Amino acid sequence: MTGWTIETLAREIATCRISAVEATETCLARITRFDRRIRSFITLDADGARAAARGLDAELARGRSRGALHGIPVALKDLCHVRGLPTSCGTKTAEYFTPERECAAATRLRGAGAVILGKLNMVELAVGPFGDNPHHGDVQNPWRPGHSAGGSSSGSGAAVAAGFVLGALGSDTGGSIRMPAACCGIAGLKPTYGRVSRTGVMPLSWSLDHVGPMTRTVRDAALLLAVIAGRDASDATSSRRPVPDDLATLPRAIAGLRIGVPENYYFDRVDPEMEAAVRAAIRALEGLGAVLVDLRLPDPEPLVGVANVITRSESAAIHARLLRERPHEVGPVVRARLEIGFQISAHDYIQAQRVRSRLTREFIGEVFGTVDAIITPTIPEPAPKLETVTAGSLEEIVRRTGQFSRFTRPFNALGLPALSVPCGWSTDGRPLAFQVVGRPFDEATVLRLGCAWEMSAGASGRLLEPDLVD
Amino acid sequence: MADPSPDVRAAAADLAAVIERASADLKLAEEPSGFIVALEGDEDPA
Repeated sequence: MTGWTIETLAREIATCRISAVEATETCLARITRFDRRIRSFITLDADGARAAARGLDAELARGRSRGALHGIPVALKDLCHVRGLPTSCGTKTAEYFTPERECAAATRLRGAGAVILGKLNMVELAVGPFGDNPHHGDVQNPWRPGHSAGGSSSGSGAAVAAGFVLGALGSDTGGSIRMPAACCGIAGLKPTYGRVSRTGVMPLSWSLDHVGPMTRTVRDAALLLAVIAGRDASDATSSRRPVPDDLATLPRAIAGLRIGVPENYYFDRVDPEMEAAVRAAIRALEGLGAVLVDLRLPDPEPLVGVANVITRSESAAIHARLLRERPHEVGPVVRARLEIGFQISAHDYIQAQRVRSRLTREFIGEVFGTVDAIITPTIPEPAPKLETVTAGSLEEIVRRTGQFSRFTRPFNALGLPALSVPCGWSTDGRPLAFQVVGRPFDEATVLRLGCAWEMSAGASGRLLEPDLVD
Repeated sequence: MADPSPDVRAAAADLAAVIERASADLKLAEEPSGFIVALEGDEDPA
């Protein structure tokens, strides 16, 4: 696996230096050897993957390539419904979610030649940022066992970082793509609300859910996004906007791009090593010609309140039957968080949606009238110890959860594209990361800045891999 | 469903208070679906 990215492996497969079957077997062998400890997979579909890879090799032998992902091993968070595989959503029930339609993003990945190895572990019902799961085991951070892999797309972050797959899909309602990406030292993109279809993906909050790619490099995230983005009539929130060719604009110089550096909130109470790494990355982008603009962002606290009211209300409605009929099957912290939704009035829910409308319009007008993107830390501290964050009273755990996701959650309420990019290591070897946020549907600029940093730091040229133990 | 615990009731009350403060100066014309309009802007994708 060393050195493979989606881009480089696709080239090797296209030129027949390695087959899709060989790439798949390499990944399967690595999963079999190491995932007992990492616990990133809930369902491994080895037979299905081998059959798909054989088919793709046969197609290539006949001169037909499906394109950018031909033969690339990937996996999906276990709330993406894939025909023939169970979808537990991290619950005790193996087939908790069985919609009529398959996950639209999974169908597009397969159509572009990806080999789906299976379904990835996650926080129960996607409620929580630390990667713990009472039914399928706590996902371990591949760089630091015993530490959080982030969540709720914990298995997606860990599987990509561990080199089990080249890319994964995650979902993000309050930071659930970006937090595990940051904890695991990979790239994770929450696209603009409406850019990627959520059809066939278990909802947590219809108004705040996003589906997006998690990969080893920013360039690979752009490759996956190009495949999964675009209009889907079966998702009522899917945008009709055409999808631009972000890959073509990725190598463009960033000189002249205006980067907003928040003066308030986003650097408050941040771990010193995290803050130093993020500020160093910002200075490196300035060195490449970006213009830094110190600015005071609109207060994020009302946005966080709005997001919480909407998530609690919608998730309680979605999982009402489970909570009514089998509450004992749900972990106590997740259950308590869901139950809050039953106590929120329709009046407050509607007011929250109206406030969100106003705050979004104001934020876009005020901030993006001045800058092209903003950069913040993705998380306030490197991956914490699992035993620390999951200990204590319900109230303490819920408070910790809010603290850990406080830099990502506002951008779910705003629906803006937000990318987490690795930017170094703490002295004890935990990944550090920054978050780039852009205008609505301007994934191109967000990816371009992430890619510029990555190239300047040499990350694409020398991919590191964790030392795993069987 | 069982009666909510005091913790759950308190958390819901806190959220209601946040929304009450944030919605104090909402304009009558502000609609819940205004979020999508704000994101999509003036561009006509057709």
